Amino acid sequence: MQKRILMAKTGLDGHWRGPTIVARALRDAGFEVIMIGMANTDDIVTSAVDEDVDLVGLNIGGHIDVAIRSIENVQAARPGLPIFAGGTIPPHAAKQLEALGVEVYPPGSQLIDIVDAAERLTGIK
Amino acid sequence: MQKSPTDKAVYSRSGIELKSFYTESDIPQEHRSRVTSNPGDAPYHRGFHPSGYRSKPWRIFQLSGFGKPEDENERIKFLLKNGETGFIMEHDRNTGDHCYNVDHPEVVARREDVGLTGAVMQSVRDTAICMDGLPIGSSFGHAGGAVVQHAPFALASYWTVAKQRGFDLGKLPGTGQSDFNLTYLGCVTKEQIPTQPGLRFNADIIEFCDRYLPYWVPVSIAGYNAADTGLTPDQELGVLFANAVEYLDEIKRRGSVDIARAARACGGVSFRASIEFIEEACKMRAARLMWADLLHKRYGISDPKVANLRIHCVTAGSKMTYQQPLNNIVRGTLMALGAVFGGVQSLGVSGYDEALSIPSEHAHQMSVRIQQILQEETGISNVTDPLGGSYYIETLTAQLAEKAWTFFEEIQKQGGYLAALDSGWLHACASENQYQEFMDMERGDQQVIGVNCFKDDGSPFEVDGFMGTDDAFDVATERLKEVLRTRHEAGAASALKRLEADCRSDTNIMPAMMEAMSAEVTLGEIGDVYRDVFGNWDTPIQT
Amino acid sequence: MGEPTTQTLLKSAVGGERSSLARLLSKIERDPKVETEIRTSLAGGQATSLVVGVTGPPGAGKSTLISALLSHTTASYEKTAVLAVDPSSPFSGGALLADRVRMQSHGLGDRVFIRSMASRGESGGLARATSTAIQLLEACGWPLILLETLGIGQVELEVMDLATVVTVVLNPGWGDTFQANKAGLTEAGDVFVINKADKDGAQQTRVDLQDSLSLIHSPVPIRIFDTIAVKQDGVESLWQGIKDYLNEAQAVGLIEQKLLSRNRRLLMRILQRDFDDRISAYWRSDHGGNQVLRTLAGDLTIEALREDLFAHMAKLD
Repeated sequence: MQKRILMAKTGLDGHWRGPTIVARALRDAGFEVIMIGMANTDDIVTSAVDEDVDLVGLNIGGHIDVAIRSIENVQAARPGLPIFAGGTIPPHAAKQLEALGVEVYPPGSQLIDIVDAAERLTGIK
Repeated sequence: MQKSPTDKAVYSRSGIELKSFYTESDIPQEHRSRVTSNPGDAPYHRGFHPSGYRSKPWRIFQLSGFGKPEDENERIKFLLKNGETGFIMEHDRNTGDHCYNVDHPEVVARREDVGLTGAVMQSVRDTAICMDGLPIGSSFGHAGGAVVQHAPFALASYWTVAKQRGFDLGKLPGTGQSDFNLTYLGCVTKEQIPTQPGLRFNADIIEFCDRYLPYWVPVSIAGYNAADTGLTPDQELGVLFANAVEYLDEIKRRGSVDIARAARACGGVSFRASIEFIEEACKMRAARLMWADLLHKRYGISDPKVANLRIHCVTAGSKMTYQQPLNNIVRGTLMALGAVFGGVQSLGVSGYDEALSIPSEHAHQMSVRIQQILQEETGISNVTDPLGGSYYIETLTAQLAEKAWTFFEEIQKQGGYLAALDSGWLHACASENQYQEFMDMERGDQQVIGVNCFKDDGSPFEVDGFMGTDDAFDVATERLKEVLRTRHEAGAASALKRLEADCRSDTNIMPAMMEAMSAEVTLGEIGDVYRDVFGNWDTPIQT
Repeated sequence: MGEPTTQTLLKSAVGGERSSLARLLSKIERDPKVETEIRTSLAGGQATSLVVGVTGPPGAGKSTLISALLSHTTASYEKTAVLAVDPSSPFSGGALLADRVRMQSHGLGDRVFIRSMASRGESGGLARATSTAIQLLEACGWPLILLETLGIGQVELEVMDLATVVTVVLNPGWGDTFQANKAGLTEAGDVFVINKADKDGAQQTRVDLQDSLSLIHSPVPIRIFDTIAVKQDGVESLWQGIKDYLNEAQAVGLIEQKLLSRNRRLLMRILQRDFDDRISAYWRSDHGGNQVLRTLAGDLTIEALREDLFAHMAKLD
């Protein structure tokens, strides 16, 4: 039974290396990855609800407040839905995300750890 | 490069098998005669000037920008004072890349990001603030406009400010970028004009500069984003020249500019300098070989002035690690060394905090210091092409050029550079390499210090990341209202109408763009015209 | 916090609660028992919704075209739902579902509902899940459903049977590629689109397509439309063309005829899938596994194995 993961980028920065590799690794691990690219808060919340995903993955680059807005709105619309995040996230911002219950995977994180996290957060393991 | 016991094959980043040592007989036959040529002689792999850096040091050229235009102005002045010898004006990417004004809903939704990586410049008034007091005539300014659809605005607003300050455009030095590999391969934006109108824009810019700004480098054909997105050094070479051919063939088709003059103007290219610095140095040497070869074989040009390939280099941002960021100072230095060994004309070193945020003032300064130490303390500038004649260097240079031409031909088989972008073929090549690189790291075949080995960080130093200023959005919003309120509305409307008409026809859009700048037409209004006339590029990748 | 029952969710969804609809769609995909429950709960309801299929080879621009169609469809039908089906990886069972990206900027808010579905590999299963999903969307007040699939592969093409009118989206140069699938696509389509019509070869493709279509007898004219979806060019005409086709087909009883033969095929596939499931269960069971070994050893004839299988099939679930 496949689990569904939403992947979105909170900024308008177009670099696509990181997210594409993570999406591919998740797909290879058996997940259905719904990719919505650069998305604002409304896009992210609507997608998280309408696609009834099991996990949200955010690629963050830029000011953390932009991501936090999306995170808080997702948590309001779907309480308890796990969220993890990667991208250019300085340590102080990573702490803010963790305080919101988001798991942070900075650059250099191993794919195997991200896949394990996805399996754990969606209840497979 | 793979770690291996002595009997296992070892490869360069381009996939060329490396011997454990080289001798004269390793140098490919067709390259042997070239080895004895001098810098300044065809085929130019050794460089164009025998006196090299003795007579002209490479330019220290750092990407710099954030905040309000006045913040960026201050940062540029800081860098110039600290030894930078050219300046780059970065435009805010949320507005600039997309040609949105700051009140566009997608920008408003990300208001804290506005001004993070560049200053918001929505009209010529903002550009004027950013350029205030800058030595545009004596230094070498990059006007910004890295993204193709943004370039006409960025250039025209810079030139308009220069004119307003009494500068003769006929003598104005500087460069644009309008970078296809950045726009369509590496940093795909949310909305972008398709590749065909993009090519049209760049040819318009080349034509316009040929006529009115002979000292200005109209566009920069750049490999950085091709490489940082995953293409190997040989592929970066191949794709860069495929890009160049697309521009030159278009100019040839138009017949409006002498092809040799256009080639000379476009002979300012940009490469990435990555951490395998010997191969990177060979890449620059191979580039000079390939350009001279291309000009001669494809366009019948042998003029040394045209073959003079001026190379700008930026060190690989993706190699800067999040973990143990001070190690990145070493990485930056080594990558810079490769570029210098390769004989580049200008160099930007990535900030050591690149993986965490935009560069702090300290990281910026460090990037400049690395280059200054290289220039002043190492003696490296005293001898031109110091690695020339090395068995390894000459062999690898020749092999790289050959492999690069193969990739160039594969791109032609796809229908050419534009077709290879539209179909996603180039993206697939890059993606496949990225994946292999990741896998190499995961398996431990590629060790990255501090990331997958030697992870304990004994340093008490924490780099926290710079978050820019926080009033860029508000000030930009006010300034947008102000310009819309106070400009001569009839003039702006008529200029915008002219621009739209020219976009729809075959007319070179730059004259209309210059008029639009003087009339204080804003970026978002121009973007709306583009979206209406050209539609949106159908991106071949899911991001 | 207890899980709401299917019936609770159903009531809520039919009452207009979007998140309940979303959750039920997941259950339909995952749990055959729940899917059956929903199907039976909704049986007897009117099949009032229009299902417009959009299919074609990868890269044709289907998602971009759908995005451009949305402003027109919502003008005609107030609300539009989109089911975007993409293939699952045969190796891992996972999937990359990226159609949503191109449909995001519709600006139509609540009037559009987009759902991505992975084919999950099995023909009958997908068709059944999609069929129930469509029923559910109907019951929740979505009068128009755009069903998008890749026009390659049995699994995806078969899902098109759920559509009332099938739109095939091609690009210039189509005649030169996808040789093997040409027959499948030309037979499946009711309306044809040449998207990216500004590219070279559009005219030739139209000619090639007309040639292929001339071999098919249809009581209603099959039209070809040129579009440039990224610029919204030709999209309004296409929508009008789809509506025209529906009216003409309705008038000559073609819709009813098509629906009948499509439902027959769908039913067959559902039964086949049920049979396959039961044969697999037999094969995996201790008893069945033994019988198979005996047959392979020559102790049991194939006929006797078959009789045994049939006798057990009724008991298996």
